[in-house]
Amino acid sequence: MSLFWKWTIGVVVVLLIGAFAGLSVMAGSPKDAYGMVRYALPHMHRGVLKVGDDAPDAKLVALDGSDRFHIRERTGAKPLVLVFGSFT
Amino acid sequence: MREAHPTDEWQMKSNIKDDVCYAQPKNLEQRVYIANDFIKRYKYPVPFGIDDMSNAAEGAYSAWPERLYIIDENGHIAYKGGNGPFKYDPKEVRGWLSARYGEVQHDDKDKVAKPPDGKAGDAKPAESQPAVTVPKA
Repeated sequence: MSLFWKWTIGVVVVLLIGAFAGLSVMAGSPKDAYGMVRYALPHMHRGVLKVGDDAPDAKLVALDGSDRFHIRERTGAKPLVLVFGSFT
Repeated sequence: MREAHPTDEWQMKSNIKDDVCYAQPKNLEQRVYIANDFIKRYKYPVPFGIDDMSNAAEGAYSAWPERLYIIDENGHIAYKGGNGPFKYDPKEVRGWLSARYGEVQHDDKDKVAKPPDGKAGDAKPAESQPAVTVPKA
């Protein structure tokens, strides 16, 4: 292996370790950094919706587990605030 | 929508401390159970809807793990918040509503109730109640 490739691989490894260390500090621990990379980043999207776009509709389930309603059924009379989240 | 920090994925220490320990739901019944535990525990005072297992709302609004929107009377997006938790900012929603309707003073009785001891009431963590009352797939 040439000196060039040794240096290239070395620099890449150091950068990866540095990035993971930085992410660990930001996330709180190496486990959380792993979780962020494994679970969060693939699912966090800025999305294509913009202010002024038509609000997409989707069917939601009521707390009784059986009744269903559409988001757009709740719009029209006044502004609707949507709070997306999960318990955990 | 999908849980952000279930026990079988990326569990947070804070969830263990607060006794909010659920595996990622495999069916709608489990998701409904968790939602009802949340409502029961926090006495959440606003209308509530649950995304079904197709995660259609989550996908349409790029909502995971948490995000805020305002839809105006004409059905248009009037406000789009950033991805939570870092860019999840209820103050921006309050600002939008205040600009529209004026500032609102809340009484103490309007505040969302918090559990007195930080525990989950009758709900049990996934380890001690592994999808027992949470319906199985």
